[in-house]
Amino acid sequence: MKINLSRIILWAFLLAVAFLILFPVVMAFLGSFKTNAEVTAGGTIFPAEWQFSNYLYAWKEANFARYSWNSLFVSAVTTAATLVIVSMAAYAVDRLSFPGKKLFVGIQAATMFVTIGAVVLRPQFELMIDLKLHTSLWGVILILISAHASVFFILLSYMKSVPRDLDEAAMIDGASFLRTYRSVILPLLAPGLGVAGLFTFRYAWNEFILPQVFTMNSPHLQTLTVGLAALRYGSSAAAQTHIMMAGACLSILPLLAAYLIANKSFMQVTAGSIKG
Amino acid sequence: MKKKLGLLMLGIALAGSLTACSSGGNSGSNGTNGGNAPGGEATETPKDDKPAEKTKITYWTGDRHDADYIKEKIAAFNETNEDNIEVEMVVKTEEYDQALDIAFVGAQAPDVFRVKENTIQTYYKKGYLEPIDAYLTEDMTTKFPRIDNFSSFEGKTYSLPNYGSTMRLVYNIDLFEKAGIAEPPKTLAEMVEAARKITEVGKADGAYGFALNFKSPGSAFGRSARVIAEMSGYGGFGYDFKTGRFDFNGFKDIIGAFKQMKDDGSMLPGSESLDIDPLRAQFAEGKIGMYLSFSSEPGVYKNQFPAKIRWAGALPPTIDGNVKGVAGFLGGQWMVMSNQSKNKEAAWKFMAFMYSDEVLKGYAEGGFGIPMVPHIAETAAKPQIEGIDGFFPTKYDGVWPLTPTVTPEGATNWDEFWRYVNEGGDFDKLAEDLNNRYNAALDKAIASGEVTAQPDPSFDPASMQGAFASE
Amino acid sequence: MNRVQRLLNGYGFILPSLVFTLVLGVYPILWALRYMFYDYKGYGTPVYVGLDNFERLMRDGLFWESVVNTFVYAGGKLVITIPLALLLAVILNRRIRGRHALRAIIFMPTIISSAVMAVVFFIVFNSYNGILNQLLLKYGLIGQAIEWLGPDYAMLTIVLIAAWGAIGNYMLLFLAGLQSIPDDIYESASLDGANPIQQFRYITVPMLGPVLQMIVMLAIINSLKGYESIMVLTEGGPFGKTNVMFLYVYRLLFPVSTGSVIEQQIGYGSAVGFASAVIVGAITVLYFYLSRKLNDIH
Repeated sequence: MKINLSRIILWAFLLAVAFLILFPVVMAFLGSFKTNAEVTAGGTIFPAEWQFSNYLYAWKEANFARYSWNSLFVSAVTTAATLVIVSMAAYAVDRLSFPGKKLFVGIQAATMFVTIGAVVLRPQFELMIDLKLHTSLWGVILILISAHASVFFILLSYMKSVPRDLDEAAMIDGASFLRTYRSVILPLLAPGLGVAGLFTFRYAWNEFILPQVFTMNSPHLQTLTVGLAALRYGSSAAAQTHIMMAGACLSILPLLAAYLIANKSFMQVTAGSIKG
Repeated sequence: MKKKLGLLMLGIALAGSLTACSSGGNSGSNGTNGGNAPGGEATETPKDDKPAEKTKITYWTGDRHDADYIKEKIAAFNETNEDNIEVEMVVKTEEYDQALDIAFVGAQAPDVFRVKENTIQTYYKKGYLEPIDAYLTEDMTTKFPRIDNFSSFEGKTYSLPNYGSTMRLVYNIDLFEKAGIAEPPKTLAEMVEAARKITEVGKADGAYGFALNFKSPGSAFGRSARVIAEMSGYGGFGYDFKTGRFDFNGFKDIIGAFKQMKDDGSMLPGSESLDIDPLRAQFAEGKIGMYLSFSSEPGVYKNQFPAKIRWAGALPPTIDGNVKGVAGFLGGQWMVMSNQSKNKEAAWKFMAFMYSDEVLKGYAEGGFGIPMVPHIAETAAKPQIEGIDGFFPTKYDGVWPLTPTVTPEGATNWDEFWRYVNEGGDFDKLAEDLNNRYNAALDKAIASGEVTAQPDPSFDPASMQGAFASE
Repeated sequence: MNRVQRLLNGYGFILPSLVFTLVLGVYPILWALRYMFYDYKGYGTPVYVGLDNFERLMRDGLFWESVVNTFVYAGGKLVITIPLALLLAVILNRRIRGRHALRAIIFMPTIISSAVMAVVFFIVFNSYNGILNQLLLKYGLIGQAIEWLGPDYAMLTIVLIAAWGAIGNYMLLFLAGLQSIPDDIYESASLDGANPIQQFRYITVPMLGPVLQMIVMLAIINSLKGYESIMVLTEGGPFGKTNVMFLYVYRLLFPVSTGSVIEQQIGYGSAVGFASAVIVGAITVLYFYLSRKLNDIH
């Protein structure tokens, strides 16, 4: 009896949380099938008439397939490179002592404190002009990779919970530092990498201003966020909220897929790492 | 580990495919996107394919409401021009100004771009603009008015007007009739009274007398209190052109009227978080008696939020019924040429085409804006858009001179006014504080040589009347 | 590993990260921050003004108001987000039915465009015909419409919406940390008769140690820095009641034009940005100091 009661409370709690979290998402989904007037005026939950054409319009006008591909490219490369660079740094910082280590950690922390918005775009863009990367997505990717301080601290903390005996044992067996990193640390770090990768991917996927600036004169390189933003109207007319909602719902799908992949990667570990 | 490598390989593969497609031309991908079609074919045309290379120029705009029309005209230009010029149009509605700045840094600037009455000065100061006097034909010089500080600076012309925006009181005829009000208010007292009466008869159905988009007080007052002040003979931004100083005391009655409507409960509840679009949507539903806004409203109610009620635009009220000034007619500029352009001749040919009678007339007749060029206004047919009649210039519409640009410390006058409407207090003290801060900023700007604020004792706001229409 | 090897490996492994951070992270920030001492509008020659911007900062009521708002906002967000995220992570780490679906649901808010969600939340919370008020009125829970976005409740509403958007994030971070605690520890504790609360207190919290500490630090920094959702929902209004530090900075650097010509204040904006960064940094250091003290006690 007692167990049942606590189960009921648990499930009531979980369902309540799920409902509260899902409700606005469902509202956005339903809104994507309304007319602009209906969604903007508010007051209704279900569409008076289902406007499936919103999706057609969003798909065509936002050149969805093309822009998704660009977004995927930017996000995948940024994620892969960030994970490699950051896990290496976190490994060295946690396991080795060398002069200047504290300074390095301090620099990482400092970049997290300062947010001066898009002003830093100007020097970043000028650097990319020097590198002749200011009209390609590589410029975007390099800048996105550089913003990795919080991923660094996330991985650093997971690194701390990886038992030292394992990599120390490998080193005693004669494995080099690099080899130990590749064959011992990376697999053990998988849950952290999964989460960090997911966050990096999402961050890159949602980035707006960088691709907007770097693809100004090359529409075929635009990412989804840039394409979707163009669906808004300018100052002389109203925003097309219904189309933006349809676009937003479409753009969730690739991210959900990324989530499922990441979820799988950090779920496998319990079975693998600690026991192996 | 294999997985990680796989991911890296995928990344590299992706990278390869992308470089391949950015260097190898991208004809297929762009064809599907109507928005970029005009200039979309092959970015790098092989030289031996065509006898003469096309001169490519780009045009940037932040406007979408006229995008289809402009796109059509650009396509026509690309087909018919005899100089092998091809124009690519880029529509950027978000962060337009920021994108322009960065483009100029990276030498990626468009050859021709759209400017507005509150951005052209900044671009002029930043040195982005090319004077066009040398290109102007005599015909154009006589046809197009040039407006100091809005299309020309220090004796040089940088842009020409096309259309402008008028400001009006927008009202729901059905609600006015229901409340037994014969005509739109002409004084502040009438406006407060109308809002009260409408709320009385409408509240049961959720209709209120008045609303504005106070989520951004600057945007809300900038289309209401500003124009009421201007009609009453006060500078809409608190600047007194006679004395060359800021003086916000002229707003006392106006802001007092807004406060009265708020205290009466005549404003749509939640106005403090309202954006302009939800406001329009509620107006279209018949839930708002009146508000003030620009001449873009008829297009919105025709194309985006079909109005379910009868409505019209009327001249904004004045403080006491005496029109001592003019309602601001915003505009005076449209396209400018970049001084970075490598093809200025071609850029001008495109501009000349866009400023041709045919294109401008079509623009006016399509109802995309109120024509500001006299010969277009006289010859163009009225657009078929419900409600637009009330927005055409009257005797009481005119262009105010430019208010000196100042950046005062602390909150803006609009934010302070909105706080006063909600929380009350002593308006005279508030105005004094604003005057001090704005004039301090003005003195600083004068000292650094950025602005000149010459008093003009003979300045008479009423003298601006009748510039665009005689009645 | 000898000393040379250790140094080589150490510097070699941090080098890529260091290069990226210095070139594309630190340099642009320094580039912008040098304008702290200038009057600069984004064009023309910057005018050196010494410490003028900092003097102005001291008497700038709007800034200090935004500092207070930032603390209220960040505090509220943390108090809701962290315990709830940890609780959900602990529950969903257990083998209960539907845990994968629930995790996915809770993660959902973090992947939707905030501009779109602002529209949705306006539909839910606006006092005129918002869905929340309609429901509360219908079931007689309130007598008259509540102005959720009005001066009295706007901050509360913003905090709730921010927590809604953040819980999924921190739940995932906690989940990944929990993965590293072996199941057998819980099993044996369970056999010894420890109830779930005791297990949480004596196993989960200590074992999660460094991860927990880091996640809380990230949460603190992020909530002190966050302004995007405020920007799209209330723009800091009504009359500054929800204005936070970095929104204030953003609007100095990128003002919204409403008719008149408005200029960027890059100099003053950089100074405010720097002061805000110092405040965030100080709080983070304080947090580190306190959490280390707590560690020592245990």
